[in-house]
Amino acid sequence: MSELVSTIQKVLAETGLVLGWSATGAGGVAAPERFHTAEEAEVAIFDSTCVHNLSVHLPRLKGRAVGIVAKACDARSIVELIAEREVDGDQVRVIEVSCTDTLDVKAIWRRYGYGALIEDDGSELRVNGEPVEREAFVQAKCLDCEDRQPATPAGKPVPSGSKPANARQQLREDFQAMSVGERRAFWREQYARCIRCHACREACPMCYCRDVCIMQTTDPHWTGGGINTAEAEMMQLIRVNHLAGRCTACGECERACPVGIPLMLLMEEQNRAIEEMFDYRAGVDPEAKPPLLTFDIKGDSWDGE
Amino acid sequence: MKFISSEKIPGFLEALSARSTVWAPRELTGSGGTVMFERWRPGDPIDLEHYSSLSAKDVVLPRTEKLFGYTYAFGGSPFSGGLGASGTAVAASDSDQAPATSGEQIVIKPAEPAPSTVLFGVRACDAKSIQVLDALFNNPGGEGYNDPQYSARREGLTVITLACTTCDDACFCSSFENGASEKAGSDLILYPVDGGFLAEGVTGKGGELLSEPFFEESELAPPPLAETAVIEGLERLQEILPGLFDDLDFWERVSERCVSCGFCTYGCPTCHCFNIHDEMQGDREGERLRSWDACMFALYTQETSGHNPRPTLAHRYRNRINHKFSYYPENQGEILCTGCGRCIRGCPAALDIRDVLRDALKAARKE
Repeated sequence: MSELVSTIQKVLAETGLVLGWSATGAGGVAAPERFHTAEEAEVAIFDSTCVHNLSVHLPRLKGRAVGIVAKACDARSIVELIAEREVDGDQVRVIEVSCTDTLDVKAIWRRYGYGALIEDDGSELRVNGEPVEREAFVQAKCLDCEDRQPATPAGKPVPSGSKPANARQQLREDFQAMSVGERRAFWREQYARCIRCHACREACPMCYCRDVCIMQTTDPHWTGGGINTAEAEMMQLIRVNHLAGRCTACGECERACPVGIPLMLLMEEQNRAIEEMFDYRAGVDPEAKPPLLTFDIKGDSWDGE
Repeated sequence: MKFISSEKIPGFLEALSARSTVWAPRELTGSGGTVMFERWRPGDPIDLEHYSSLSAKDVVLPRTEKLFGYTYAFGGSPFSGGLGASGTAVAASDSDQAPATSGEQIVIKPAEPAPSTVLFGVRACDAKSIQVLDALFNNPGGEGYNDPQYSARREGLTVITLACTTCDDACFCSSFENGASEKAGSDLILYPVDGGFLAEGVTGKGGELLSEPFFEESELAPPPLAETAVIEGLERLQEILPGLFDDLDFWERVSERCVSCGFCTYGCPTCHCFNIHDEMQGDREGERLRSWDACMFALYTQETSGHNPRPTLAHRYRNRINHKFSYYPENQGEILCTGCGRCIRGCPAALDIRDVLRDALKAARKE
């Protein structure tokens, strides 16, 4: 029995529920799972296809004890949820797994067909038995991850010089070089294919407003009901603003987007600005007071009137 | 059958685009491999290799469509005369039908007429789904509801289908009667062969296209079509699901991975729920729009009082499955699913509807 399984079983004895993964996705990749008994937990796995940030389920499970298998990036979301008092830290048992990186499973399947066999030993990636360039299919967020543990003790040399190491870095550089007008045009082209399925919001652990989210409510009526570029632009501006100082850069919005809008490009820019302005990174300290939650509340309204 | 070579496809589409709006699948730049049906213009690329990330249902059910525009005009203002003259329907305050207050006019501007459209390169599952939607929306002169805007678009639509000789692990069209050889909804079917496509006219509309100079006679035999995954007994769900309705534990269990986004419904070629909403520009002009809505959203059945008859994700997921495999078959005589697999490929939480359907069939067997 793996160490992970026995740890989950130990936590289960206390919580009665653990969020983890089994290898029951197509082609044997990871699928999110809820374990209630020691027997159910026997199929628990952790590998580079465990892409989902399971902490998205914590706000929905509020009020009950729960264990959760988490990568370092997922753990930051849990810390931020606790800092925001959305999740009770005493109720959550985090089973942190060490992670080298995770794969962009969707990108692999778009290229090789859904369900293509993915084999990854941490250094060589094989799809349908054929070796493929690993770096091209590692999730963009993982390439920049500070908690990333190299697969081999020596690790790989950090790319240096002017050549961007991957497509995301290239996109980031291209974006930085754009004028404000060009950036607007870039985003409008991206938003043109948004279908407003709200997968970006629903896959985000920090988007827990649910049925009062103003991206959809008619009262207040901040966005119209149409599905078009202008509404998508407004929606994303709302989302980005509401995640200021709260986004832990887990990348789930971008992974969940069914039409490949590079949403993390927006978030990264803002996260950098927040760090510069407030010296604050979301999801690091559960006791921290998030900079944009420091309203001075007097009486019933924010301005004290 | 007739044959069209691959090189002649752009020319064929160009000829079609001279008299119709043409939609074809293409990979969008900078989208990480997203393939969508887009308006095709001469010179545009076409992707006939990958499955489109979204269905082509926009063609009959646009994401957002204008039902009509309206303008409030006030009697005596210099504004009212001109608008009244340009509008096609005027409800003046002194006529019988006027709901407006004294001196006020509402000018209704109807939506633009539906264009003649060619949908090129859909798969059999998507073509079939149009027929499935027809059962609800398109009943001109017959029994049942007829949606005038839908049926006008449908009337002007020609569907050219690309037959599938391969499939992936998400495909399950073979669970339905005709699988990849389904012809319903198609006007013309193209079968991939060496160097091009064999073409088979299914309807008169499709058959007429074969007389275009792009097609030549051929002795080639059509290729064998894809055999996808099969779930036995989907038609039995219509009887089984009502028995599972009150088993909320079941629905909680099968939906526990779900994060409640709307991709499975928006990517689906048969999901058709919509919202009707007015959008104002300023305080005098507005449009009444119809936009896609999804039963997976918390707000979908939220009532004005605040009560929501489907308060949890499990309630909402139960509705999704029941609508597809129980209510729609009962009311419209068609299963509201064609096995295209998009909800499976695109789900951010790895939820596979086939597992849920198998579980429902299994739960029924136990009882």
